[in-house]
This record gives sequence, C-alpha cells and structure tokens, in this order.
Amino acid sequence: MTDEPNKEMVVTPWDVSGQIDYDKLIEQFGVSPMTKEIEEKIAEHAGFKHLQLRRGVYLSHRDTDWWIKEYEKGNKVGLYTGRGPSGHVHLGHLLPWFFCKYLQDAFDADLYFQMTDDEKFLHRDDLTLEEAIELTYENALDVIACGLTPEKTHIFSDTDHISHLYKLGVKVAKRVTFSTVRAVFGFNNSDNIGSIWHPALQMMVCFLQSEREGKNIPCLIPAAIDQDPYWRITRDIAEKMGYYKPAQIHAKFLPGLAEGGKMSASQPDTAIFTTDEPKKAAKKVMRAFTGGRDTVEEQREKGGRPEVCNVYAYYYFLFEENDAALVERELMCKQGKILCGECKKELASRVELFLTDFQKKREAAREVLDQFLIKPVE
Amino acid sequence: MAKKTNNVTPWDIQGEIDYQDLAQRFGTRLLSEDILERMEKHAGREHFMLRRGIFYSHRDVDEVLDHYDAGGQFALYTGRGPSGPVHLGHLVPWVFTKHLQDIYGCKLVFQFTDDEKMLIREDYDAEITSHWVYENALDLMALGFDPDKTEFIVDMKHTAKLFSIALKVAKRITWSTMRAVFGFNEDSNLGIIFFPTMQIAPCFIESERSGEPVPCLIPAGIDQDPYWRLTRDVATKLGYPKPAQIHGRMLPGLTGNAKMSSSMPETAIFTSDVPELVEKKIQDMPTPENRVDCLAYLLHYFLLTESDEEVNELHHECTVNQRSCQECKMELVEKVNKFLLAHQRRRKLIGKSVKRMLE
Repeated sequence: MTDEPNKEMVVTPWDVSGQIDYDKLIEQFGVSPMTKEIEEKIAEHAGFKHLQLRRGVYLSHRDTDWWIKEYEKGNKVGLYTGRGPSGHVHLGHLLPWFFCKYLQDAFDADLYFQMTDDEKFLHRDDLTLEEAIELTYENALDVIACGLTPEKTHIFSDTDHISHLYKLGVKVAKRVTFSTVRAVFGFNNSDNIGSIWHPALQMMVCFLQSEREGKNIPCLIPAAIDQDPYWRITRDIAEKMGYYKPAQIHAKFLPGLAEGGKMSASQPDTAIFTTDEPKKAAKKVMRAFTGGRDTVEEQREKGGRPEVCNVYAYYYFLFEENDAALVERELMCKQGKILCGECKKELASRVELFLTDFQKKREAAREVLDQFLIKPVE
Repeated sequence: MAKKTNNVTPWDIQGEIDYQDLAQRFGTRLLSEDILERMEKHAGREHFMLRRGIFYSHRDVDEVLDHYDAGGQFALYTGRGPSGPVHLGHLVPWVFTKHLQDIYGCKLVFQFTDDEKMLIREDYDAEITSHWVYENALDLMALGFDPDKTEFIVDMKHTAKLFSIALKVAKRITWSTMRAVFGFNEDSNLGIIFFPTMQIAPCFIESERSGEPVPCLIPAGIDQDPYWRLTRDVATKLGYPKPAQIHGRMLPGLTGNAKMSSSMPETAIFTSDVPELVEKKIQDMPTPENRVDCLAYLLHYFLLTESDEEVNELHHECTVNQRSCQECKMELVEKVNKFLLAHQRRRKLIGKSVKRMLE
C-alpha cells in the first residue's frame, strides 16, 4: 500500500472528509477537551462506565460539567439530539443514540429528538418533501430500537410537528441575521431561503423543553462535532433570550468500512445499514478495508495496523464490550498472530447477530411509535 | 407635496400615490370593459367599487373568470397583520371581497400574520396580538361573510396548514431573488427572510387540499404586488395555478396621508370609535373646497354611498351650490355613525361563532 497524501480536512454540518485531526478540531471550534472528571461523574450517575466513554468516543464538550452539576443540585436536565432523515440509518448513527439512552437513564432526562426532514428536502434536489417525511418515521424506528423510554422521549418531524416549533423558531430567527449564518455556514446568493431559515429551527430545540415546561432546564446535546456551528450561534443568543446556553458533548466520527471520513449513508458500500439483511451485512464486513498487509507472510512478519483498520474500529466502538479482549485483539494483530480474514469473520458473525436482534426491536417499534412522538403541552 | 417617485413596498407606503403609474410600473393590467361586463353579468349588477374604479387593475382575473365559466371553483385569499384596530380604509377591500364571495360562492382564506408582527416589532406581545386577531376577525365577519366558507389562518397557531407548502415555495426562491424583491440585506433576520413563503403558501392551499388546480384570487392593495409577482413565478415551477389579483386603491387618511393608518390614530376612523370621537375626527379633518379629493367626499365615494345619484348630488352641492363644508361634515358624521353603529351591533352578535372559527 502506498501512503496517499492526506486530503485536506473538511468539517461542516454537510461535509466531513479527509483525515480527521481531532486536536485541530478542538482548537478550531474552541471547545474544551473531555476530562476524566466528567467521564467519571457520568459513570457514577449511570452506575457503570459506558463503552463509548471508556473508548474516548467523546473527545470534547462545552459546559457538560455545569449540566451535571445542575442535576446534582436536584434540578431537572434535558437532552437534545437529532437526525437529517435522508436515507437508511447505519451503525455509525446509532452510536450517539445508544449514548443518549445511557444518559437518559442516568440523569432521568427527557430527550428531544429532531428529525430535520425540512432540511433534507431543502438541500436535496432528488428528494420530495413527502419522501423526507416518510423517512422521518422510518428512521424513528431505529431511534426507538435503541431502547429509549417512551414517557421521556419526544421525537418530532420539523414538518409534521411544526405547530410545536414555529413560534419559538420565529423568536430565535429574529435574533439571527443573514450575515451570521453566512459566516458560519457559508450561504450564498443561489441558496434557497428555506435553507437559510432552517438553522433557526435547529437552534430553537435547545430551548424547547424550557419553553414547554415554563422554566429553564439545562439542555445537553450529544452529537458529532460537525454540528457544533449551530450550537455556537445558539449559545450567543441564549442568554439574551433568557435561556441557559446549551451544553454539548461531542462524538468522534465512526470510521466507515471504506477508508477515511465518517460512515456515510450517501456512499452505501461504506456503511452497514440497520435495514441490511444480516447475511448481506456480514458479507460487507468481509469486504471491508482493514489495516492488513499485502501478503500473509508480510503480515505474520510485520503485524497488522489496527490504528487504520475499519474492522478494528467496529470492535472498538461497538462490538467488543470487553476491554481486555479488545486489547488482546489489538496485540495479536500487531504481532501478526491474527489475520484479517479471521478477524473479519468473527466481526461478521457479531454484526449478523446484532442486526437480527436490532431488526426485531425495530419492527416492534412500529407498534409503539405514537408513544414516542411529541405531544401538545398539557 | 407629492413626491415624483413613489417608493412603494409592502412594508412602507409613503407619498401620495399615483395608481395609474403604479399599475404601469408593476406591469399589471387595467380592468377591461370585457371583464367588468362579465362580472356584472355574474353578479346581476355592477358593484360600485368596480364602476368607480376603486378596484381598477388586475392580473389574470380573466383567466379566473374563464375557469368559473367552465364550471370550476376558485378561492379568495386576503389577510392582515393583527397589530391594531380596523379602520374604514380596511373595510373597503373587505366589502368588495364579500361581494365576490356572494357572487361566486367561493371560499375565503383569511390570514393573520402574527409571525410577521413578532419579527418586525420590538414591542411584540402575544396577548395583545391575539386580542387584535379576535377583534379584527369580528370586523371581517360583521361584514356578512359566510362562516362556512371563510377560514382564518393565524400563522403561529395554524402553522401546520401552511408550513409544508411554505417549504416547497422556499426551496424555489433564492437569496438573491429575495434581496432583489424585498430589499433584504446582510442584517435581515432569518425569520423575515423566510416569512414571505408563509404569506405565499395560502395561494396554493386549496389546490393542495383538493388535489386539483383551484385558482386563487387576491383582492389586495397594489403595493402588495411584488409578493404576487414572485408567487406567480413559483406557482409555475410547483405546478399550481398562478394566483390572480385584483388591485384596489386605498382610502386616504383623514389628515391627507396616502392611506388611513392604524399607527397614526388621528388619520383614521376605527370601527370601534364612539360617535363623539367620530364627530371630532371629522370636524378636525381639513376639507379643501371644491375638490374631488376632499376626504369627506372620498368617504362617500369609497364606502358609504353606493348610489351614484347620491354621490353626484353631493358633488354638485359642493361645487355648484357652494354648500358649506360644515353642513357636509354634519351629514357625514351622521352617516358614518349610522354605519358604525350597525357594524358594532353585528360584531356583538357573532362573538361565539368567530371564536370557534379561530380555534
């Protein structure tokens, strides 16, 4: 294998490409690196330390320590995350949702889950609004299958549930000028005015629970770091509007089955979808990019490179709960004692098992979908 | 002094208005004899506002009439920003709209743009706004609109009715178009940039609901035309019928302003004004002698006096017989108060029904 020169790193809410340098991102976005204290506090409240915390999935944050302290003072806290329903859900998407479920249980927090079907429709020429809305409900099944609590989960479509959102959206929109969103998102003359307005709708959710419950409730957003620009401008207006600044906890991107970037639904072969037939998903794993060498001899001699291997990444982020077993696998690989075929095969069977189970939960979610959708304030 | 160039945008009317010039500048058409005749035939009579050229310009009214003659139905659409009380100037287009509903049996969609109020007013207050929504709706319905054929849409309350259409519209309008049409700039806020799509959406709501083309006719001040020009472009792209407009002149203000204005109470007679206040406002009103743009005369001409004979008589009395302004004003006070008392009585009777309509 030849080493390709690193492509320039690009991270905006619409484009993640190149090799990701997280230190540089932390500096560039002006966020705080994750601390041991925060990880331990979360673990303490949850009763166990989540795999994602143990593996450093959450690289940075803003005010997460404050959010936890508010909870410790006996105050109610909330969670907000979301998804642009542009296609099927892949395993990379599930990571933050599993983590939301963990936080929901640990902090007894309501989760507001936004489906930005409006944004997907506005950004994509090939998607009708009706199709985007349909995807909202399909994707909601995946969210529910992650084990969230119905009484504390409020999934909503920007379009179908706009009556719960618009007024607060307008209030937020009044505080944000075109020049601000242009500077942050790079809008230009040929962008449509729906796209330009949409950030207001994504920002307002930070205040939605406070508004609905009539008192300020700290909001924490677990999301990939590419969404950060939204929260930066939200934080700028929050206090002027009488709300708390939203806190964030930022996840890394899950490497795809192909090299580089995060898993992407727009590049189907790079990702395992929750709707993939389990056997077919297993085959995808068998074709995955690994950190293996060109020949068996070379691999036995030099060892593999887990640090660039997507198969290893899957074990690391999702499929090896046991830390000792993970370390063991890494060592075996580096020492050339385990070959890629073997490693893939075992991952393939874990993926197959996982999907079979997840798809059952996903189907069951159809029956209870209504319970998870946002309701009018009583 | 009248300015040479009238600067007319939907948010700002200033200077005296040259309506002929506006029609020409906006590229609208004057109502033709043919259209007036067809409307007279449908109505069985000619409405005084058409006869007097109060409604004088249009876009595609002929096509709407063709559609109607072919057995099709169309919808009426108008609306208002609920920022204050309704004055006699507001009633002029509503009286005409009611006439259209009567003749054509069509549905009226009436929009209250409370979102726009929130966006442009620093002192926006939700309670005050919903108070004006209700008060204004009473004024509209007191004119006799059919409650079964009239639908109120309050933007921030009934958002779900409009939003998906607004999104489809928004996808078809670029930032550069918005800047050109409305003069938005870098400092414009995101809400005001998106808002026009909410005002455009009702044009298509009946087509969207019925799944077939239902043309929409908008009786409006000609100052709103930039909206509808933009809407017409978008309609074609989205496969909806282009909205038609019929443009009216505005009743000038009591103090000689281009129109009555809610924000300048001394310029307007409000529907809630008590007789003594009406009398004072009319007594204080300047009346240039022997001129057809005398405000006393225009109130009769625009709204209060349907009979041409009576209007001509007033004109004659003034210009030939030199009747005193004081005499004329006394008569006007009486006529306005009679009109308002009847209006206020009707408002009292329909409270429950209007509340239900706004739910």
